[in-house]
Amino acid sequence: MLKYIFSFFLLLISFSGNAQEATKKGSIAPKTERYGIRFGADLFKLTRSFYDKNYRGLELVGDYRLTRRHYIAAEIGNEKKTVDETQLNFTANGTYIKAGFDYNAYENWLGMQNMIYIGLRYGISSFSQTLNSYEIYNPDHYFDDAPTINVNEKYNGLSAQWVEVAAGVKAEVFHNVYVGFSLQLKRLVSNNKPNNFDNLYIPGFNRTYDGDFGVGFNYTISYFLPLYKATVKAKDKKADKKK
Amino acid sequence: MKKIFLLLVLFSLLGCEKDDICIDDTTPRLVIEFYEKANPTVLRNVTNLKVTAEGETEFGVFTGTSKISIPLKITDTTTKYSFIINSTDTTFSNEDFIEINYTHQNVYVSRACGYKTIFELDTTSPFVATDAISNANLWIQDIDIVTTTIDNENEVHVKIYF
Repeated sequence: MLKYIFSFFLLLISFSGNAQEATKKGSIAPKTERYGIRFGADLFKLTRSFYDKNYRGLELVGDYRLTRRHYIAAEIGNEKKTVDETQLNFTANGTYIKAGFDYNAYENWLGMQNMIYIGLRYGISSFSQTLNSYEIYNPDHYFDDAPTINVNEKYNGLSAQWVEVAAGVKAEVFHNVYVGFSLQLKRLVSNNKPNNFDNLYIPGFNRTYDGDFGVGFNYTISYFLPLYKATVKAKDKKADKKK
Repeated sequence: MKKIFLLLVLFSLLGCEKDDICIDDTTPRLVIEFYEKANPTVLRNVTNLKVTAEGETEFGVFTGTSKISIPLKITDTTTKYSFIINSTDTTFSNEDFIEINYTHQNVYVSRACGYKTIFELDTTSPFVATDAISNANLWIQDIDIVTTTIDNENEVHVKIYF
């Protein structure tokens, strides 16, 4: 292994020597990269709305390339989901926004702009929950079990906030068209629960668990709108080489 | 690679959803403890105490215990029981009727359990004992309501002295 690392560095050094010679002569055009806005939608939420009658959702995604590796990113969405548990049946309905940044850890070849990134988001959701029906859990079956109770009670003005860490990829499949996939790990910061019920599904955060953690993923398609090009600075190049 | 592995471990842990099975305390039963009438601080074991709710089949026969737990109807505000002490003995058996009056309320527990019913004993006549033949014949001599709020089974709700 050490042998390979050593030879790899040797190779790098030889390249850097070449490159310096070349720039001195000015025969190679400076490396430029494109900056702009990318916007799209979550395909999973969109398609699920068609085949799952208990779900309706839309998530719009967007990012703006701030520096060579940093992107400002945001997602905005709306979800309505009916969950049927053994003891409960409820519907969550609301809107959320998540904002933060992505850090691209991927070394692109010249002219390519793919991403393997990690991101950080802060999410806010405003929603309502409707308790459609519930059953009373009674471990004693001496008397007849109580029938399902239909309540149809709506709890309005609920909210939750959370932080999430995302990891994902974005690849250019056609010119300026990207397909992306990301996994998210979330942790609730605040959760405004209704009286005598719980926030069992939070739009944007997804299913809640006993603790404050949650998970999520999205599968996006997006379009990149280039705004300007910038030359890769020499120090960035050097940094690349060192890696 | 290490990071991916850690993520996988984390997701697999989230896969074991312990909140899919109801493990919380849910609808409580009424906990009754029996004491000696002559010596009210001393627990007294019942002998062949046959417990049956009105209109139902036998709930159980208790022997050698001083504590029993009986369910209350969650769709009603009154539950009537028949308590027959020494039920196997034709000469010494004695049947008392017990009427428990209460209000109930449904309280959210968790995703897996849904709701439970908790009870609040009536303040004026929470626990009424009458004898099958004549009230002079009651084997239950005194009743002490320890708490009117029945929301768990960890405490004794009613004390019966005989």
